[in-house]
Amino acid sequence: MGRSSLVFLATEAARNFRRTGWVGLSAVVLIALSMMALGAFGLLSMNMGRAITQWRERVKIVVYLREEPPPSAAERLMERFRQIEGVGRVRYVSKYEALSRLRAQLGDQSDLVDRLPTNPLPASVEVGPTSEMTTPEGNRVLVEKLAALPEVEEVQGSSEWVDRLAQFRRLLMGIGVGVGTLLVLAATLTVTVSTILVIHSRRQEMEIMRLVGAPESAVWAPLVLQGLFQGLVGALSAVALLAIGYRFLSPRLIPFFTETLGFPQVSFFSWLEILVLIGSGGLLGAVGGFLARGRVSAA
Amino acid sequence: MAPSLMIQLHHVWKVYEVGPIKVTALTDVSLKVGRGEFVCLVGPSGAGKTTLLRLLYRDELPTEGELLVDGHEVATLRRSKIPELRRMIGVVFQDARLLPSRTVFENVAFILQVLGAPRKLIAERAFECLKAVGLAAKAHAFPAQLSQGEQQRVALARALVKEPLLLLADEPTGNLDERMAGEILELLRAAHQRGTTVLLATHRVSLGASVGERRITLHAGQIVADSGSGDGT
Repeated sequence: MGRSSLVFLATEAARNFRRTGWVGLSAVVLIALSMMALGAFGLLSMNMGRAITQWRERVKIVVYLREEPPPSAAERLMERFRQIEGVGRVRYVSKYEALSRLRAQLGDQSDLVDRLPTNPLPASVEVGPTSEMTTPEGNRVLVEKLAALPEVEEVQGSSEWVDRLAQFRRLLMGIGVGVGTLLVLAATLTVTVSTILVIHSRRQEMEIMRLVGAPESAVWAPLVLQGLFQGLVGALSAVALLAIGYRFLSPRLIPFFTETLGFPQVSFFSWLEILVLIGSGGLLGAVGGFLARGRVSAA
Repeated sequence: MAPSLMIQLHHVWKVYEVGPIKVTALTDVSLKVGRGEFVCLVGPSGAGKTTLLRLLYRDELPTEGELLVDGHEVATLRRSKIPELRRMIGVVFQDARLLPSRTVFENVAFILQVLGAPRKLIAERAFECLKAVGLAAKAHAFPAQLSQGEQQRVALARALVKEPLLLLADEPTGNLDERMAGEILELLRAAHQRGTTVLLATHRVSLGASVGERRITLHAGQIVADSGSGDGT
């Protein structure tokens, strides 16, 4: 396809868009809204996902021992722990260290500890699971393996709350995808309707195009291009609005999220993600235009 | 080598079925038109002239018979090959069918744009054709600003801008007075002299006579008279 053909198709697409009037404009607004909904849910999910990954890395399992082993046996025990599949970092906490921690935690009231006749705290091993074992199933398997060791009295700690948060994130994504899909469908249909209007107003042109031997692609390509154009404008508007929203809201929301949910940081889309979002909008519009293609044959 | 015959019809029938009613538009029509001929297809309204032309540019399919244009079997032509056939045919109708939202120049240039011609060539050819029909000065006018005769001249320029091998003119003078009809006829003759095969359908017997070339008379879907042989001479 030559340059002049491309210029012609683009000019025709722009002419078509002008002809669609308010219907064409509402298609752009709907595309912008659907891309904004998908983008906003995507942003929230992305940031939650990052936070969950970090929280998972911090998950630790505390294995309480029946008896405190002598220092030489403690080292061998640690070695056995390290050899268990799914165990990442391992740290031995002696009875003395456990008491020291309690003392530090109590602060001003640390003298309470001194009044104890004996040290009641057990020796323990803090186990950090490997990244593969941070899943709910991996966590459960690891806890079972550790609990089965003869030296172990009790195992505490799981990623249950992180898992619940991950489930909440999935639910949120589900809602986002559901709402987004509905909006995407509405936007696509609006593009299709506006394109059908164009087809009716261009009936005579299409007739002439066919009469002079224009390839069928030249007849419908401007319609797809018009949809693509609507989609790109809608998606660009959505990204711009999301960026403005992020810029104005993030200084107020980041401290809130950090304090309540412990988000390490809140970030915006990368350039690649922005391009994907804009491209998706364009594709959505083009599909809308393409769906109207069936009407071209009828015209 | 290009075939010497531009149009060949062998026992062509066209029957329209409207519900239970069958209307025969063409009855066993056989005809040969040589390359570079000027043929006047004369006959009253309903004689089958328009149907015959529509068969030639594959707007309709014959019910029976064989139909060739420049050696291409039109009836069995694949759908994807229709544009190829139509690119060598120019068509002019009784109503000019110009695009009202485009200027005269844009109406003519539109054809070359659609066919993907280079921009420079589009401008050159469009002006050349408008000059040939005497409307270069009105290139930037809109169709509504032109007289019917002028509109028909633009339609002719539009049909000729892609330099067709065959020009089908369906009652191009139907809406025009004698003087304007004469002008259109002159333009058709000029196109013929440049080598285009012209098939002019008209109900005006006088116009057919004034062309002075081959005259085929159609009546009730049948050829009743043919003044030439169609051997391309």
